[in-house]
Amino acid sequence: MACIIVGGGVAGFQAAAACRAAWPDRAVTLIDAEKEAGYYRTLLPQFIAGGIAEEDLFFPPRGVDPLLTVLRGVRVRSLDCKERRLVLENGETLSYERLILAHGGDPYLPGILATAACGGIFPVRDLTTARKTKEWLADHRNVLVFGGSLVAVKTAAHLRHAGFEVSLVVRRGHVLLRALSPEAAKVVENHLRDLGIRLHVNAPLEDLRIKEGVISGLKAGGEWLPCDTLLVAAGTSPDTSFLEGSGLLTDGELVVNPALQTSDPRIFAAGDVAVIAAGGEKISPNTWPQAVSQGKRAAENLYRSTPLPLTDLTRINAMELHGLAMVTLGPPVDGAEVISYERPEAKVRRELFLIGGKPVGGALIGDISAAGTLHALIHSGRVIGSGEAALLRPQATGVIPFPEPAGRREALILSSKR
Amino acid sequence: MKVIGIRKDRCTGCKTCELYCAAERCSESKTLLGAVQEAPAPQPRVHVEGGPNDAFPLQCRHCLQAPCIDACLTGALCRDEASGMVLIREDLCIGCWTCTAFCPYGVITPSPERKIALKCDRCLYMENPVCVDVCPTGALEVVDLEEIEKLLHEKRLATAKAAAGVPEGSLLLLDQGRSVKS
Repeated sequence: MACIIVGGGVAGFQAAAACRAAWPDRAVTLIDAEKEAGYYRTLLPQFIAGGIAEEDLFFPPRGVDPLLTVLRGVRVRSLDCKERRLVLENGETLSYERLILAHGGDPYLPGILATAACGGIFPVRDLTTARKTKEWLADHRNVLVFGGSLVAVKTAAHLRHAGFEVSLVVRRGHVLLRALSPEAAKVVENHLRDLGIRLHVNAPLEDLRIKEGVISGLKAGGEWLPCDTLLVAAGTSPDTSFLEGSGLLTDGELVVNPALQTSDPRIFAAGDVAVIAAGGEKISPNTWPQAVSQGKRAAENLYRSTPLPLTDLTRINAMELHGLAMVTLGPPVDGAEVISYERPEAKVRRELFLIGGKPVGGALIGDISAAGTLHALIHSGRVIGSGEAALLRPQATGVIPFPEPAGRREALILSSKR
Repeated sequence: MKVIGIRKDRCTGCKTCELYCAAERCSESKTLLGAVQEAPAPQPRVHVEGGPNDAFPLQCRHCLQAPCIDACLTGALCRDEASGMVLIREDLCIGCWTCTAFCPYGVITPSPERKIALKCDRCLYMENPVCVDVCPTGALEVVDLEEIEKLLHEKRLATAKAAAGVPEGSLLLLDQGRSVKS
């Protein structure tokens, strides 16, 4: 009987490492459905585009730890909370003392794609599929990326940079709908077009054309778009299949408190599978840094009599799109006041969303200076003053603003003529 | 663990530390004259913040719970076990800038030309940090956190002793270790 962690993504691996560090006398078993566990999922777009070698995808090796067991290629069939055991698909049963569910989600595939029986359609989610995609792309150059998520945008940009013909098809009004305001998204979209990506927004999926068992076109937003490869990055849906009947699900979701504890105090959840109920709302940040913090916090809380909450639930993310740096500080909120700084000719837009004078989110596009300071400001929950709001202006000097000295500045010119 | 300490009252905001840091740690030529002519311009890892009367140099604080390490997508940011410093392995950095969004001090800066993030490593492999060596007013110095801890311990002890000796009904001035009759 020991700690079991389900899921070998970053949340699971962080949880395993944190558990061994915080509770050194407890044995940990990590179960992962994939044959390879412990790689940087966020690098898959670069890997597919050939920008990064496969050996650089994996986490640095850890020293041998006799109390840490990793079971790869093993799926969980069911969870019995009363008996405190997991039944695996190979029939084996594992008992646990504490359990962390960090098995993430499955790629969301719109119905028409989920049932399509043809070659050339790949979700961007796991390494096994990424390898197949890379192999396929060796002799297919016309790629269509479906989705408006961060992964979709990154995949499109990296493939275009690698010389592929790329179209990005977005179901709704603009890219990165969950992270950016329409104004900020416009800057990103213009940059994608400048890279040579054909962008189709407001283009819901309608039909597929298949030729000799391979995708040859996609109809979206009333237009037929030819392609020989379709990469799907339209988000993920949490995998709750083996939790049915366990009593842990609320309306089909694995809801946890801010300390990442489920309704069973012995079971914690972290990463994409967890939906955190905090302050009357449900939050699932679904970002890499959140998965890391959640994995760590869940493990540290395992044997605490009073588990500590995770306080920073902001959806911070950053990326570099071949010449355009961006940081998202939190999604746009209805009714929020927007303060912004814009320089469209330089592809710069920096904005903050304020509610009652407190910053709750924002985005920095094209110039990401003071990103960390603005993040800390959002996290502090304070009402900001004009000095702090000045952080939105790109920083030529420092990130901590100080008031200008009062009075006019004058230069004394020491010249013989005066 | 040794860190760079700042004597705020001594900093005049002259930015000598910035200049020499950029020249020594980021330029090809390693000289001031050569550095200012290089493109891209060498970037410093220390930044003088504040205005004319409140200037102070700020560089990586090597936080004990460093949010940048957790944020790093590739494991390029790591803690050096021997020195306790937070270091960036430039060969692993892909320039995604996630760490810059998590540093509350804003001292990790992107270098878009080199596609890596830059931060202070306290000139770990040099005898002394460049900024400390060149500061004309001695505002920067290398301090041992254990020494600081000892000083704090002494101060706490003095405070506790003062508190124990306070006559009843009197007001204690904790920071002074003195008491006054009410």
